[in-house]
Amino acid sequence: MLSKTWLLTRKELVLESRGRDTLPPMAAFAVTVVVLLAFALPGSARLTAPVTLPSGTVPLADVISGFLWVTLLFAGLIGFARTFEAERASGALESLLLVPIDRGGIYAAKALANLVFIVAAEVLIVPLFIILFGIDVGGSWVALILVIILVDIGFVAAGTLFAALAAATRSRELMLPLLALPALVPVFIAAVELSSDLFVGATVSDVAGRGWFGILVAYDIVFTVAGALAFEYALD
Amino acid sequence: MIEVHDVTVAFGRTLALHRVNVQLKRGITGLFGPNASGKSTLLRTLAGLLRPARGRVTIDGMNVDLRDASFRRRIGWAGHATGLYGGLSVRENLELFAALYDASPDAPEQVVSSLGLDEVLDQRASALSAGWQRRAAVARALVHGPQIVLLDEPYANLDDEASEIVSAALKAWLAVDPTERIGVVATHGAKRLKGFADASVVLRRGALASHRVRNAE
Repeated sequence: MLSKTWLLTRKELVLESRGRDTLPPMAAFAVTVVVLLAFALPGSARLTAPVTLPSGTVPLADVISGFLWVTLLFAGLIGFARTFEAERASGALESLLLVPIDRGGIYAAKALANLVFIVAAEVLIVPLFIILFGIDVGGSWVALILVIILVDIGFVAAGTLFAALAAATRSRELMLPLLALPALVPVFIAAVELSSDLFVGATVSDVAGRGWFGILVAYDIVFTVAGALAFEYALD
Repeated sequence: MIEVHDVTVAFGRTLALHRVNVQLKRGITGLFGPNASGKSTLLRTLAGLLRPARGRVTIDGMNVDLRDASFRRRIGWAGHATGLYGGLSVRENLELFAALYDASPDAPEQVVSSLGLDEVLDQRASALSAGWQRRAAVARALVHGPQIVLLDEPYANLDDEASEIVSAALKAWLAVDPTERIGVVATHGAKRLKGFADASVVLRRGALASHRVRNAE
């Protein structure tokens, strides 16, 4: 099954390299949002500086961390919405459903391709974000990469599953956020909480000791397994 | 043998197929009928892509089950849409599906030759004319040498010469194992199949209007 999963993943990447239908809109959205936010917030302020909100006072790092993950969340959804576009456009989904490969293999291929797309967007966005907001990642970059990887796994696992569910509906562009956003809340709260700590100098051990880290790992395991198992029914 | 037992398929309140009973034996069966008669619905039900609201479909006594990989391996399918990845060349499409079906490495070459696709082999599927796309779709359905082939309008957008090529490819596919292979071809163009179809099924408004077998005619 692994070789067939790889064949399907490679097919997704070849289609994207030729069509450029997924990454450019993700990147355009994310870059625009980051640049607009950079104008809205004081980039030179200390990340520990308090920001007064109607709900209370929080460090600026919390706000910036929230902006980063909201940007990546919606950029990701733009990409995930196209997960089954190649199949939908040509009727290839029926051909794919008739191929004697475990549906988990099709899910894995779609998820791996989505992972590549979201990582590619992050490679562009995260450094831009760090530069524009003057974030000193310092010794926290290993922990930041770890958190991003863990978030991506859960995000892609859930996003790919919900993209399959949405693909079976007529109003798929509307259905994907409706289905996915509520389910993605835990993983993105964890992402915001852990990243805001990292922006003010937390280390890997600090982050690993937080409850949100455990939630992130549990979410990844649950949605990766559930996605592979439920994908078969999502496509019916 | 494919047996359709009392099959009813509904889309909401619309009955697409109503209590259809038919047996499809080895050889090529032409599936005819006017628009909205249920041809495509019956084909999709035979492929397991639609579940009947009532009744069942069996192949050699086993229920059609899309979740059964051994069932899927036996089916060659070309639906109303081409089912080709537009961003891949014809060659890449055929190689991809051949590999997914564990077909022999020279399988794509064989169907390319039988369907005369050499001149468009390295063109992207999306760049081909509708007629070439249809021929490539038939090639994709045949590439793994399936036991059962289900084709929906394989002659659409084809001129006479191309239609002859598709018919010859179907005959060649059948000739490999005529005692086991079953082809069901839905088409408006009855004359395309007349020369070589072993049976015909006519649907009207989702119901079976007639079923004739060549030897019994």
